[in-house]
Amino acid sequence: FPPAFQSIPRNPIVIDLAYNYIDFPSLENRMKKDRKGFISRLWR
Amino acid sequence: MPPKSKDKPKPSPSQPLPPIEDLFSTLNRHIEQSEFEKAVKVADQVLSIAPADEDAIRCKVVALIKADNIDGALSVIKLSQSPTVDFSYFKAYCLYRLNKLNEALESLKSQENNPAAMLLKSQILYRLGELDACVDIYRKLQKSNIDSLEINFVAGLISAGKASEVKGTLEAL
Repeated sequence: FPPAFQSIPRNPIVIDLAYNYIDFPSLENRMKKDRKGFISRLWR
Repeated sequence: MPPKSKDKPKPSPSQPLPPIEDLFSTLNRHIEQSEFEKAVKVADQVLSIAPADEDAIRCKVVALIKADNIDGALSVIKLSQSPTVDFSYFKAYCLYRLNKLNEALESLKSQENNPAAMLLKSQILYRLGELDACVDIYRKLQKSNIDSLEINFVAGLISAGKASEVKGTLEAL
């Protein structure tokens, strides 16, 4: 005692990889462009 | 003498909505902070101004899925009549989550050769017990550098009775 560890079979794991491809569209062009006034243009 | 206030038109109970760019900024913030239920509400505000806005519809569908409201996402997809947004992947994914596996396969038919659709298809085939077909897809995706692909690949091989191929496959990945 204690008994030795033994390996047991288990059902294989499947993960939901397809979920990673459910993504939001880019909203970059839909938001207010607050940092692209002429001041930031002067700095470029 | 009747109270005067009754004759006046009631002010609208809801505040007037801010400009659409502000709504998108708010929506984007909720998305970045993983506040998906709030994102759904803001997407709805955009849609109350612009009912056909494709970005807002897509955001709403994705936010509903991420908030685990799969039924809700599916009904938005079914109601959207947009000719330009292709919701077939999202639709297939929702059907898969609801275990409507044959319908899910049907919805994927239009786009079978991108990695996302192939992964989803292999997951559906796994649940359907079509393990050879499932494993075939993972073989095709082997070179695509998809994170954690080996987990599902091995599950497919073992369930398909091909445990002897596991070692070689893992070494080849």
